[in-house]
Amino acid sequence: MRMRLGTAALFVLPALVLFGVFILYPMVTAFSYAFFDWQGTSRGAFVGFKQFEALFTKPPFTTDLPRALLHNIVFFLATIVLQNSIGLGIASLLHSRASTRRALQTLFAVPYLVSPLVVGYLWSLLLSPAFGPVNTLLRKVGLESWALPWLGDPTTALPVVILISVWQWIGFPVLLYGAALGGIPEEFSEAARVDGARPSQIFRRIKLPLLLPAIGTVSVLTFIFAMEAFALPYAVGGSTGNPGGATDFLSLLFYRTAFDSGATDAIGTSSALATLLFVVIFGGALTATWVLRRQERRLLG
Amino acid sequence: MTPSFSSTVHHGPIRRARPRRTLLMAAAATLTGALLAAGCAPSNSDSASTGTAAGAGGSAGGSGGGAASADGPVTLTVWSWRVEDTAAYRKIFDAYQSKNPGVTVNFKAFKATEYNQILATGLSGSDGPDVPQVRSYGQLQATLAAKSLVPLDDTLDLKGWDPTIVASAKGKADGKLYAVPFAQQSVQLYYNQDVFSANGIKPPTTWKEFQDACAKLKQAGVTPLAIGGKDDWTLPIVHEAVAASRFGGKEFAAAAASGKKNFTDPNWTASIQTVADLKQYMPDGVTGVPLTDAVTLFATGKAAIFPGGSYDLAMLKAANPDLKLGVFQMPVVDGSPAGATPTTAGWADGNFGVNAKSKNVAAAKKLVKWMSTKEFGQLVVDEIKQVSAVPGVTFSDPVMKQMSDFYAKNPSPYFLLTDFRYGTPSGGELFTKGMVNVLLGKQSPAQVGTDMDKGLAAWFKPQQ
Repeated sequence: MRMRLGTAALFVLPALVLFGVFILYPMVTAFSYAFFDWQGTSRGAFVGFKQFEALFTKPPFTTDLPRALLHNIVFFLATIVLQNSIGLGIASLLHSRASTRRALQTLFAVPYLVSPLVVGYLWSLLLSPAFGPVNTLLRKVGLESWALPWLGDPTTALPVVILISVWQWIGFPVLLYGAALGGIPEEFSEAARVDGARPSQIFRRIKLPLLLPAIGTVSVLTFIFAMEAFALPYAVGGSTGNPGGATDFLSLLFYRTAFDSGATDAIGTSSALATLLFVVIFGGALTATWVLRRQERRLLG
Repeated sequence: MTPSFSSTVHHGPIRRARPRRTLLMAAAATLTGALLAAGCAPSNSDSASTGTAAGAGGSAGGSGGGAASADGPVTLTVWSWRVEDTAAYRKIFDAYQSKNPGVTVNFKAFKATEYNQILATGLSGSDGPDVPQVRSYGQLQATLAAKSLVPLDDTLDLKGWDPTIVASAKGKADGKLYAVPFAQQSVQLYYNQDVFSANGIKPPTTWKEFQDACAKLKQAGVTPLAIGGKDDWTLPIVHEAVAASRFGGKEFAAAAASGKKNFTDPNWTASIQTVADLKQYMPDGVTGVPLTDAVTLFATGKAAIFPGGSYDLAMLKAANPDLKLGVFQMPVVDGSPAGATPTTAGWADGNFGVNAKSKNVAAAKKLVKWMSTKEFGQLVVDEIKQVSAVPGVTFSDPVMKQMSDFYAKNPSPYFLLTDFRYGTPSGGELFTKGMVNVLLGKQSPAQVGTDMDKGLAAWFKPQQ
């Protein structure tokens, strides 16, 4: 038995070493940075949780951190509601069109293949108040009052960012739900139809419960995606999340703290922020998975 | 029917793969990215940081090549963030090499947005540059705090230089000089000469003339002021170009820097209002207009005036080589404090220093000393097309000469940058947030000042 354990350890060792050197070590180092004082790049004394305290007591964090977190949460909820429900709708509509399903799925996934930086740049060109075709079109068709500075007004900027994101990533739930729908045996629906169930009943009482694991997966992935959103907000609103911080996100705040501020203790505060971000996302994903698993068991069990 | 279905499901063939563990792994993996970004920052001298430093140094050719014997051949490595000036710098250092036989200057430029990280890594390891280009004012302090640069008070003699410019190379804590400023920037209003003459307008000399000119241009269907408020970092520059006289220029700057006045001062508030009142002359939806669109409006003659920095000159010329450019200084705004003059704000935006870990400190000091001479300054003007900070250089480009003259005649520090960037949140950052909100009508100018005072209180402790 002891011999076997040793052999097993030997086989695991290479992977463990690689994991330790390339993932664990950098992560733990980053965590550890958050607990020290920094003078530029030279590490000072151990200061415990002082850097974390600063995140909750010092400007700009006192105003920017709650605002950024709120935007991340709004972004997450809106993405869940819009992207995933529209995605599910499209997926189930496509599912019934066997001949064109493949082609249409590909079409929906095309924006997904373009870098979010490029997508953000293109949309900011399209929506530019001075030359953008969107506002020109709105004026041409007589909707003068709709020709707003879409990305320049805080009330419209965040919704526009969300809509651009939904437009880009809609292919993701379409593909995942498409695959999950394909995994549900046709016999179930047939049997239900024989029993006299309406299509809406079949969807609600058969397909939806069976899709639950897929919905859970998509939701948790969406949570991670939304909490670390960076490229699109950065391309649309810059590192300050303009206008006036209306499109600020946690990762932008991290970027500003680490790379833009030029503060002497930037490494300490930004590491603390990164650690906090990790805890929020990891904790959130953990909780969400746990809740979803329970729901799943309750429904299926 | 439900029970039968659910039991089918339960015993059915569909076994879901364990989504939990995969998801958590995905969460962990994606997050590693964010943490790595922080983790890459080097600590003082552990093996990880020297590893990366060696990487960066290796790509730069390193500096160890010419080990320092007193008169033997020496290779000096210069790092910079001005990739676009590489050819010009090579030419400049060729001039130095021909006068200093045995010295080879190896110029290496890195992408500006990545330069701070590369430099920090380079300076903490042993293969960094001998002469690094370093940032100015508050942005320099992190480099100094790491004790990466050699004090140069004994090497450099910057008497006769503008004190605002020299301050960019000094340590805030110890007041020592650590570098030589390589260029100065100033803020002014560019105008399109053809558009002005087509509308019968001359560069204004009074506030009324300026307002009349704007009204006339607007009537003619030309956007008077090309401002890209979506790139909100340009707004403090617009404010400084348009309303510096209204808050009292350098007098207010000195009073604010010493803590005698704060940003709730009525003149400061009024200067913000001055910009807000000009919103009617900016492009529609100005807070949504990117800088590139503002430049396009200006370069194509759809807009007449572009408030900007001297560093914008090359970009404006590139946008339209046929553009007939002129510059003017904003006349004194009505209601300005007594004795106000038109003023041009300036600052230094980069310096050259000597790496404390350089193996060739003496040779590096000699090179940096040369960078404070008129010879180098003139080369900066002629080759790099920047306004050199060295006193007494001459300009062949009329616009550049005009900008330098404006600053020489009525200088004021661009004080949000020169005095209020030594901590976070910086003065410029706070002002920018407020100015956007004022343009959007969401905040009053007085509120901007209150927020600035509140934010700055986190770190700004003036010695009274």
